[in-house]
Amino acid sequence: MAADSDSKTKIHEDLELRARIDRSLRHPVMFFFTSGAAWLAVALILGFISSFQSHDSRFLAGCEFLNYGRVYPAHVNALVYGWGCQAAFGLIVWLMARLSRKEGSSVGIILTAGHVWNFGVLIGMLGILGGYGSGKPWMEFPVAIWPLLLVSYFFITVWSFIQFRCREGGKTYVAQWYLVASLFWFPWIYLTAHLFVFVFNGHPVMAAGVNAWFKYALLFLFFTPVALGTAYYLAPKITGRPIYSYSLALFGFWALAVIGPWAGMQKLAGGPLPQFMPYVGAAATVLVLIPALAVGVNILMTLRGHESEVAASPSLHFTIAGIVAFVVLGLVGMVLNTPGTLKMTQFALTGYGFEILAVYGFFSMCAFGGIYFIVPRITRREWLSRRFIGWHFWLTTYGIGTVVVCSIMGGYFQGAAQEAYNHAWHDAATLNYAYNVGTTVAWGFILFGNFFFLLHLLLMWARLGRRSQHPTLLKGSHHGGSPHGPDGDLDELQASEA
Amino acid sequence: MTFKAFISALAVSFGIPWLLIIVVPFGKMRNLKAVHFEMANDGKDEVYVPRRSGRITTGSALYGANGCYVCHSQLIRAGYAGSELGRPDWAGFRVKDENGVSINTARETTPYDYVGEPFAHIGIMRIGPDLTNVAGRIQSYLEDPLTKAESPENWLYLHLYNSALKTRTLNNRSGCPRQAHLFEERVVYGQGSPEAVPGLNREGVEVLPTAEAKALVSYLLSLRKDDAVPYSINYSREKKKAE
Repeated sequence: MAADSDSKTKIHEDLELRARIDRSLRHPVMFFFTSGAAWLAVALILGFISSFQSHDSRFLAGCEFLNYGRVYPAHVNALVYGWGCQAAFGLIVWLMARLSRKEGSSVGIILTAGHVWNFGVLIGMLGILGGYGSGKPWMEFPVAIWPLLLVSYFFITVWSFIQFRCREGGKTYVAQWYLVASLFWFPWIYLTAHLFVFVFNGHPVMAAGVNAWFKYALLFLFFTPVALGTAYYLAPKITGRPIYSYSLALFGFWALAVIGPWAGMQKLAGGPLPQFMPYVGAAATVLVLIPALAVGVNILMTLRGHESEVAASPSLHFTIAGIVAFVVLGLVGMVLNTPGTLKMTQFALTGYGFEILAVYGFFSMCAFGGIYFIVPRITRREWLSRRFIGWHFWLTTYGIGTVVVCSIMGGYFQGAAQEAYNHAWHDAATLNYAYNVGTTVAWGFILFGNFFFLLHLLLMWARLGRRSQHPTLLKGSHHGGSPHGPDGDLDELQASEA
Repeated sequence: MTFKAFISALAVSFGIPWLLIIVVPFGKMRNLKAVHFEMANDGKDEVYVPRRSGRITTGSALYGANGCYVCHSQLIRAGYAGSELGRPDWAGFRVKDENGVSINTARETTPYDYVGEPFAHIGIMRIGPDLTNVAGRIQSYLEDPLTKAESPENWLYLHLYNSALKTRTLNNRSGCPRQAHLFEERVVYGQGSPEAVPGLNREGVEVLPTAEAKALVSYLLSLRKDDAVPYSINYSREKKKAE
């Protein structure tokens, strides 16, 4: 009897601690998710415009701000810095606090730094569209922006690092490896790339090489670990069972850490720099399949036998889509970077397809999974509509699938035609017309799906969510048992005790 | 695994590639040694100086700011990595040498070809053609009987203002978006400005290139990278030693 009440108080204390953590982080995390989603909408609109212009150059041709050469970089930068980084910050801040069992401190500073980040992105975007872009892929913001973003990054994430160091209980979860590693890698990558490209006076080809490396380093060593940290948190949490294999998780993590930093310079294959660099980059991108398979097997095996939870949980829907996209990313990376195929894919639409697969198909889907899990906990309201979630999921999944297939296949044919040097150049330039049209249509669908996501999130932000003890699930009644466990049901516990 | 060991392992696994493919190559390529023509191989003894003139730094920045690199590449890859060397008028041209013998000047890009630019715009998607030798190619476009352009500058101004206006054919679809913001339209007074772009004048209105357009065109006309390089950095299969 005594032991029973003891464990009851323990559960109670536990629930209270979680509720306190969620409450303390409500504002910064919601800020990152909602402003990120707003930038995502901007990125999608610009993606639609740029894709439309790629098959009809007269579309919006009168307006210099919306010229293809400016809209395309603006689209990519909004996707990476406006949405991707901010979604990652929200996930890092919340997951690290929960996993370290520490309430959020310095919330005001995080919020301020978050506003500074948004201000930097806004100025950068206006700079690109206004014709002040730097012209270096993924670093197109005008030169003055990057120190601002780096400083605000520091003030956003340093607290998570401190929380990890002072965590209660001394346990370390797999998700935390990835999150700590992403916190460690991001400033190193970002600072290196910007110093070597913008500050140090080097060789122009080497600057282009560092720039190409930066893109892949950011993909594999920032977006990837944050997405995998989220997946490694959600899969065991929602199914209520431990991760399938700890040693496989360990292997997958260190495989990524060892392989990831080498990738990227294959963009310069055949160019005038030491040739081991591009081919090491190509080899590393091929080898990313190893961590992708390790993580894919581990997460999917963790979810095996829990089909009903998977069918019901929006978070798991998105997580599975993201993890499958990661495995596909590994396979595509392998196919596109052999010496034979690299020729055709080096300067073609395929690179765009690969980036979208990584940033949207993989990272963003995992981030959506995290957002659908986290937002009800910090707002203490449930999602309003399972239909909105369903539409968001299916429109995004099919839309991204279409963009990726069109860009990669269209780009492959385009690249093959470019290699056929005896045929007119015009052939290569017109060959991917149909694929570009497909991409445009798909961006339209993704934009439509994202509309539901943004609307839903804004309603939650305005605290107009459902007041209920029962989470919004994709299947079954709202009054059934929760596959998310008793987590967050403090009100229910208190009610039962009263 | 302790925290210290974890961070150290991360630092090593990231630091080694960081040193090997970023820091050391960056330092080594920073001050490339000049290459020389040698008497034994090239028949002359002098330093190879990549020739390039024009408003390269400003033009290169404008090339980046307007996103030309999204569609246009500037890299002639080595033969094992791509086939630009084979495509007519991309890597070089058929010209007659001093003895009247036809030679092909095609060569791959060397590290000296981007001289004067802070960043090599190697390009992303190559929806448009490679521009490594565009200045040389425009010369041959001018020989096209249908062209409206009178000079290389004129050809580029027409291309930037509205790429469909370059030739007299009706079916002339080019995917290159208009860059009309690089031009200024104004009412013609008297004989009009000598700088007005021929071929764009309408009744009472003339079109003048802005300073930005001039810099960009000057940069584009500096893109001709088929000069003879010393034997030591010439990777052509047909290369011969001087007699």
